Amino acid sequence: MLSIRNLTARIGDNDVLKGIDLDVKAGEVHAIMGPNGSGKSTLGKVLAGHPAYEVTGGQVLFDGRDLFTLAADERARAGIFLGFQHPIEVPGVSNASFLRLAYNKKAEADGREELDPLEFDDFIQEKIRRVKMDATFLDRSLNEGFSGGEKKRNEILQMCVLEPRLAILDELDSGLDIDALRVLGEAVTGLMNPERALLVITHFPRILETIHPDQVHVLFAGRIVRTGGMELALELESRGYDWLKAEATVSGRA
Amino acid sequence: MTAVMELPLLPELLSLPRPAGWSGLRAQAEQALEGQGWPSTRMETWKYTDLAALRQLPVRPGGARTVDIGAMILPEARGSRLVFVNGRFDPHRSNTCNLPAGVRMLSLAAASEMARELGSLAGVQADPFANLNSARFQDGAVVIVPRGVAVEAPLHVLFVNDQPEAESAAGLGATLPRLLVVLESGASATLVEEYRGSGPGLTCAVTEVLLRADANLEHERIQREAPQAFHFSHLAVRVARDARYACRTIAFGGRLSRSTPHVVLAEPGAQVVLDGLALLGDAQVADTHSFIDHLVPHCTSRQTHKTIADDAALVVFNGIIYVRKDAQGTDAQQQCRGLLLSPRARVDAKPQLEIYADDVKCAHGAAIGQLDPEAMFYLQSRGLRPALARNLLTYAFASDLLAGVLVPSLRRQLRQTVLARTNAENLESLS
Repeated sequence: MLSIRNLTARIGDNDVLKGIDLDVKAGEVHAIMGPNGSGKSTLGKVLAGHPAYEVTGGQVLFDGRDLFTLAADERARAGIFLGFQHPIEVPGVSNASFLRLAYNKKAEADGREELDPLEFDDFIQEKIRRVKMDATFLDRSLNEGFSGGEKKRNEILQMCVLEPRLAILDELDSGLDIDALRVLGEAVTGLMNPERALLVITHFPRILETIHPDQVHVLFAGRIVRTGGMELALELESRGYDWLKAEATVSGRA
Repeated sequence: MTAVMELPLLPELLSLPRPAGWSGLRAQAEQALEGQGWPSTRMETWKYTDLAALRQLPVRPGGARTVDIGAMILPEARGSRLVFVNGRFDPHRSNTCNLPAGVRMLSLAAASEMARELGSLAGVQADPFANLNSARFQDGAVVIVPRGVAVEAPLHVLFVNDQPEAESAAGLGATLPRLLVVLESGASATLVEEYRGSGPGLTCAVTEVLLRADANLEHERIQREAPQAFHFSHLAVRVARDARYACRTIAFGGRLSRSTPHVVLAEPGAQVVLDGLALLGDAQVADTHSFIDHLVPHCTSRQTHKTIADDAALVVFNGIIYVRKDAQGTDAQQQCRGLLLSPRARVDAKPQLEIYADDVKCAHGAAIGQLDPEAMFYLQSRGLRPALARNLLTYAFASDLLAGVLVPSLRRQLRQTVLARTNAENLESLS
């Protein structure tokens, strides 16, 4: 589904990604771990098409299409979803209206029926139960005054509404307590099927206990320095990242 | 001022015979006008607002007209509405059957002694258009809410300037609307002061609002005149002890409009909210010169002024918050936020704090710019095309301020206007 070859990217004068290779097949869950500043969030933003990042080399294919020929909104309609680490507040637009607008744009692109406000109201009720969101959040302005955890809940609600083929979740766990993390982890897992894939960017292995990854990759200084299974995530939890940094530095010199 | 004598302001109107009543006020205004003439961009308060186009147009008193106000009716104010067309009271389109006992909504002509406060707040002004109003207004409205009365229904005062397109060669049809609002102690009300119009019109309005102790007024001032209209409105407000005045001025219309609110926090505990929204396109100009005067200790003021300028529109904002020597414990905040949607659009913003007391909490700021790129990316990452994302954020910027409008039908109308003006047809569900 997603094939990344020797991807390099920068923001301003800062080269952040220095040659990423990664293959994600339909039905798979991948975790990207790594210390602060390793390029994890950049990878997510580059894949979603953030205009501030410049792709300087390499190739990314999504369902065989060159991802970089698509603008951010086209990627979204093609089925890519980025769950933001810091979702943006948009005062003046109700959450429900925004969700319906986004849903209908996607439905239009997929050739499905659009939903009118009443139909959407039915549709959204099941989704908010899934993420255990209080219905009053639908009438509030998009993310305005939401706590960190409520914003993350809203990101996953958007994901449930849009049902992306490839979801990239950037630090879903930050700002969430353990119970919320479990609820949202289960909601995300519930959306998985053999047609879809998941890329979970995280510092901490805890979220991986509910979203069971098929592969765990460790990103350091803009490269994937190690790939393994859940045991790698657990090893990082007990040993931290320093041993990998040392290893990467040594192999970088070799 | 300089010794250069300006040409007299709008002699077509000033040369009309002096209307009956308020002769003292009118005489003073006439006298002030003798030395005033046309404002020029050499004057600090008119620096960015050029009246050259207006000066070239002939002006005549707006004639009598009948107007279908069907689409202008606010259902909530069905029995609490005064309508003036081209400066004349229209009793057939007004309806005041739903007012609580003692609440008065009248034309000035019928108000006599009840309107004795008229001119007490907006007497002789630095603004010649306000003086012109005082000198020559024909009629107007008076709203009085007696002591302790809370009026549920919104009070709607509608001034229509309706000029036939066919007569545009004959010049701008001018009206001079006047409004006096008095809330006695502990009274509360919601007032919608609205200016509508079609065709080439000129409106010079003056509104005076007197809030006695513990009174509470929500005041919506809506200007949606014709695209070729000129609109000047002066607002003078006095807020007494522990009274609260919340005002929102919304300007959509007019080729050139200028609003000059002057709000005095006159006794301790007074609270003021003075918000503004201007949404402009084409070559529209909207100018706001506000003055919030903290006379006494322990008063609070909040001002948020939002502007959206598209095409070659020009927005001028000059907001002075004046904190006098005795006004210790003042809490004042002022925010001016402007959105520029086109490289030719301009916002000239000058937030200004003048503080002469030493124990105060004051803050102000101005932010003029384009849409937040991070917000654009967020919406695009949800599948919204750039044009739609831009329209949605523009709508949101304005709509946020409309959320506080307490009259539901008015709030819906205004949101519809904002939707239409932000080219957001596929956002209709958002209103």
